[in-house]
Amino acid sequence: MKIYVWLRTAMWASLTLLTACRSPEPAKLTIATAANMQFAMEALTRAFTTETGIACNLTVSASGKLTAQIREGAPYDVFVAADMKYPDELFKAGLATRAPEAYARGRLVLWSAKPGLEPSLPGLADSAIRHIALANPRTAPYGLAAEEALKRQGLYEALAHKFVYGESIAQATQFISTQAAEAGFTAMSVVLSEQMKGKGRWIEVDPALYAPIDQGIVVLRRAETDGAAAEKFYTFMFSAKAKAILKQFGYEVNE
Amino acid sequence: MEEINWGPLALTLQLAGVTTAILFVVSLPLAWWLSQSRSGWKPVVEALVSMPLVLPPTVLGFYFLLAFSPGSFFGGWLNEQFGLKLVFSFEGLVAASVVYSLPFMVHPIYSGLSGLPPSLSEAAYVMGKTKLTTFFRVLLPNMRASVLTGLVLSFAHTVGEFGVVLMIGGNIPDKTRVASIAIYEEVEALNYAEANVYSLVLFVISFAILLLVYLINGGYLKKHWR
Repeated sequence: MKIYVWLRTAMWASLTLLTACRSPEPAKLTIATAANMQFAMEALTRAFTTETGIACNLTVSASGKLTAQIREGAPYDVFVAADMKYPDELFKAGLATRAPEAYARGRLVLWSAKPGLEPSLPGLADSAIRHIALANPRTAPYGLAAEEALKRQGLYEALAHKFVYGESIAQATQFISTQAAEAGFTAMSVVLSEQMKGKGRWIEVDPALYAPIDQGIVVLRRAETDGAAAEKFYTFMFSAKAKAILKQFGYEVNE
Repeated sequence: MEEINWGPLALTLQLAGVTTAILFVVSLPLAWWLSQSRSGWKPVVEALVSMPLVLPPTVLGFYFLLAFSPGSFFGGWLNEQFGLKLVFSFEGLVAASVVYSLPFMVHPIYSGLSGLPPSLSEAAYVMGKTKLTTFFRVLLPNMRASVLTGLVLSFAHTVGEFGVVLMIGGNIPDKTRVASIAIYEEVEALNYAEANVYSLVLFVISFAILLLVYLINGGYLKKHWR
């Protein structure tokens, strides 16, 4: 009995303390980020935080995976996706404040970290290339684009047995950079990043070979916040400063 | 409902079967050595064998990826000498699983051997039996439950493998796309129906396997089946 009374008092005390401590928190954003945007987003959020004082946390994954998580209630404020399809799906499900807007257009590259290997699409048939890494086309738009480009070139069937699938473009990148796969497809932003610059050789895949990778952004509905900070970030992504950074990472932007 | 692809489940069972068979062969001498040895190296070997129990599978997966890559020293050597490429291949998954499930085979056999009275092997030696004969004809038959536990747990643990396979497998259908990976992918692709079928099958298999172990260790079968 005594213990029960004591427990109740303790509970009340902690509850009171908790409510008392609930002063307005400093704004902080959690941003779901498509894996191809990982490096660009680091630069972008740094610039954004300097400008506004709003700190940002990134959760990096494949767009499809992030969409699945958001549908199940993952607490993200903004979704920076790798295409328009996934953010649009969220908007249609009532989870985003408005229809997605394209902030950039992505570019696909073929990349190899193996010394002496000159990457080219027809060259993938070479027996020295035993594995070709791409992001899983079912959940990653860049993987889908790679598949499409190979199909248009009539190379897909002959190369299919060499494909290894990364769960996102980040894992495809990892397979290529560790040379576990001799060649593979990734985003231009990856090979232009600080971490990967100068590693191996890459060529851009002709953009005429795949449907344009228009990448969309949406502000997600959340009950806990008023979304003001998220709106600020959304606006920032279309600013001249953000566009300059995106261009630096190999994305095309609307001027 | 669309057609269910049973490939990943078949591959999982195949991987677990091959891994268990290799582990059995590797673990017998290792466990025997551990039970006999008074060497100063014994604690080191014991610690190494138990490492997969405590290490996150991602650590193993990461090191396997680096080691197996043809760009690395070990991977390059394997590739040149034997034309063997362990990354993104079924053989690679087997090699990784053998390490990953090693303690689940060695520990039960080791404790089984340690639990046998020394008089058992001494009697065999006195009767002129060699160490090898004693091991297979006297010791092993007297610790059937331990051996079975090792076999069954190694199998079950390999069925449950995920992190290591995710990092070195490359998700290739019929080669490295095992059931746990397929479940992960189907959930991501919002294809819950197929994920559910795979999950349910794994759930039932795991339960059946563990039930078998506890029935045998509880002496239930001996009591009621004779």
